[in-house]
Parts: sequence; C-alpha cells; structure tokens
Amino acid sequence: MNYEFDWSSIPGALPFLWEGMKISLEITLTAVVVGIVWGTLLAMMRLSSVKPLAWFAAGYVNLFRAIPLVMVLLWFFLIVPQLLTGTFNLSPGTDVRLTSAMIGFALFESAYYSEIIRAGIQSVPKGQVAAASALGMTYAQAMRLVVLPQAFRNMVPLLLTQAIVLFQDTSLVYMSALADFFGAAYKVGDRDGRLVELLLFAGAVYFFICFAASQLVRRYQKKLNAHVAH
Amino acid sequence: MISIHNVSKHYGSFQVLTDCSTEVKKGEVIVVCGPSGSGKSTLIKCVNGLEPFQSGTISVNGISVGDPKTNLSKLRSKVGMVFQHFELFPHMSITDNLSIAQVKVLGRSKDEARDKGLKLLDRVGLKAHAEKFPGQLSGGQQQRVAIARALAMDPICMLFDEPTSALDPEMINEVLDVMVELAQEGMTMMCVTHEMGFARKVANRVIFMDQGRIVEDDTKEAFFANPRSERAQQFLAKILSH
Repeated sequence: MNYEFDWSSIPGALPFLWEGMKISLEITLTAVVVGIVWGTLLAMMRLSSVKPLAWFAAGYVNLFRAIPLVMVLLWFFLIVPQLLTGTFNLSPGTDVRLTSAMIGFALFESAYYSEIIRAGIQSVPKGQVAAASALGMTYAQAMRLVVLPQAFRNMVPLLLTQAIVLFQDTSLVYMSALADFFGAAYKVGDRDGRLVELLLFAGAVYFFICFAASQLVRRYQKKLNAHVAH
Repeated sequence: MISIHNVSKHYGSFQVLTDCSTEVKKGEVIVVCGPSGSGKSTLIKCVNGLEPFQSGTISVNGISVGDPKTNLSKLRSKVGMVFQHFELFPHMSITDNLSIAQVKVLGRSKDEARDKGLKLLDRVGLKAHAEKFPGQLSGGQQQRVAIARALAMDPICMLFDEPTSALDPEMINEVLDVMVELAQEGMTMMCVTHEMGFARKVANRVIFMDQGRIVEDDTKEAFFANPRSERAQQFLAKILSH
C-alpha cells in the first residue's frame, strides 16, 4: 500500500483557500469581540446582588457550557436563517449561513468568556472597590475605572488562549457547507481527489498559526509577570 | 462632625459591634485602639457606609449614613479614608491616582485636578515620583500618596484604618509625620491605630474597644494615666512595655 503524494493541486487553489481563511478569521474576530462584550455583561450580572440577574447569567452560562458546540451551531443554522429572512424580508436565496455562524459562535463563546472575566474580576482585591467607593465613586465608576482595567490586564493571556481555541473550532462550520478555511480545503481536495494532501496542508496551516499565536501569548505573559513582580 | 449613636452590627449570629456611641467634634483627633477583632476597623468603616450596620444611627456633618435615601457616594466624596493596605490603583500613575476621583466625582477639569494633586504630592514630600506607578514606591511612600489622594478631595474629615500596620518599622514615622502635621492643621480625624506615641502627641481623646464594645472613651491624659477598665490596663501594659 504505497500512497503517492501529489501536492500539485495546492498552488492553484491558494486564492480560494485564502477566501476561506478570511471567513474563518471573520467568524473568530466577531465571536471574540461580541463574546468579550456580552461575556463582561454576563460576568457582572452573575456577580451582581440583584438575584434575578445573577440567576439569568448563571443559567445562560451553564446551559451553553453543557451543550456541545456542534449542536449549538446546528440549531443556529436551522433557526437563524429562517428568522433573518422572515424578519428582514430577505429573498429566500440570500446566504445567511455566515451570519448565523457568527451569532452561534458569539453566543456560545460568551459563556466561556464570562467565566474567564468573572475570575478576572474576582482576582482584583476587594480593597480596590472599597478605596474607589471611599473616594465617592459609584459602583459603576468603580467597576469601569478601577476593577475592569485591572481584571482585563490579568486576563489577556487567558482571553487570547480562548481565542486560539475558538479559531480552531471555527472549522466546525464545514457541516453547513460554508467554505471557511477547512471547508475550502476539503472542497478542493474532494474535487481533485487529493483529500489527504489538502487536509494535511490545512492541518499544517492551523498548527502554524495557533502555535505562533500561543508563543506570542506566552511571551506577553512573561512580560506581564515581570511587570507585576516589579 | 461625626456622631455615632447606639450602633450595633452582626454577621449572622456573630455580634461585631454592640451599642457603640461616641462623638467627634470639628477639629478633634480621636484615636481608636483595642485588641484585634475588637471591631475598631468595622466601626470606622461604618462611618462612611463601607460596612452596613443593623441598628443605631451614624451621622456625618448632619447627614445620616444609614438612611437609604442618603446619597452615599456624595457623602463619601467628602470623607477621606486611608486604608491599611494603601489601595492605590496599581494600573494608574501616581498623578492619575491623585486626579481620577477629582475629575470623575467632583467634576474638576483635568488640569485643575493635576495641579491640586501635584501640590499635595509635594506636601507629602513625593513630588519627584509623580510619573511613577504605585508598584515602584515603598510602602511608606504609597501610604503618603494615599493620604494625598484623600486630601485632594478636600474632605471635611479623615478616617484612618490602621494606616501603619502594614508598614516596615522604618517607614512608620514618615507616615505618622504627615498625620501629625494634618492634625496640627486642625483636620478632624478618626484614627484606628496602635501608635500610642501618635495618640500622646496629637489625640484629643482615645477610644478603647473590646469585643465590639466601646469600653473607654476619655481624654488621652486620663486614658494613659489611669485607664478605668481592667482590659484597657492589660492592653496598655502589653503594648507600652517594650
């Protein structure tokens, strides 16, 4: 059983693969930005003394963390397109798969981000809020000016690591036949009968990007630790 | 200026404060001392509402702290507080630490707040450190910045919660010097501290607490000469014998 590798279909497919990579990055970026904003709100709700808010946030986080990502994405592929075409009166042919993927990822990742951010908020000593309050700041001001900036500085490595995992997870959108980087590689391989080569190539690209990114995070963390120890 | 009347507080079934009453007049310096766990820090935190209390009343400058209708943030902006662990904001430069609340709470312009902050920084002898971050200063220096930060709000009175307990011995005096100067300028001060030298020098009265109660509340002369309660006698004997 000798398999003859043939990489010749890759160079010509690069523009198409790049289009796929752009979709992967677009989904990642949206999910990170929305995830951090909505995740911060969820974390603050969960730590709030207003019980219904805390319950809502806890329910949301536990729900999304207990369901496989694939299923969340599948539901969104099935529901969101209908919802969007219905609400905005789009023609049935409009491609809303990308939008539904972005929404699905963003809502799912928010649950994870909110847990990271909650830990970050709790890592800021209570005395900081007391000091801010003693200076006459409202709770919202103390949060915005004193607690969150410190919490985020401590959290940046974790948030970036989560973003790297998220980038890998975007490959799951292949099941909606949306041509992200992985989907594009699969399509080219399928077309040319060179699936093994294309998937090896895609794997190498994922590895290279994620490894480089985590090295950067590591270097940042070292710098951060040095700064704190100062 | 500060009047505390029959204040009691409990966490669940644990009684932290029992029927505490005292009065601080304008310009007075009151030292609160007592063994650890006696409730002195809790009492001083009740004065600006950082700790809630279940019964009794506290009023500062005629405004009731426990009243739900009171705008606590506004009241706190007029009451300076210095903490045991300094609590400077580590992500801001010293200048920003001094000006942030002036700008965000009092609505002063950035330039005005900066000038005021620098003036006070000069007063506590740290003008050269204006652009540094809190982590680059020693404990004593950080605490002096914290005092300047509180003074920048033009407080009507100052609360000190064990301001020297977290400091290395050689840094205690630089902080006490600033406090003594402040007292001599007529600032109304309530200080939780074990620094009896400070009490002897500037206090008008000394309050001694034990197990959540105010056991002694007397002039410093009377307190040091002949404390009435046995508990205070023991306490003084222990901390003054060395």
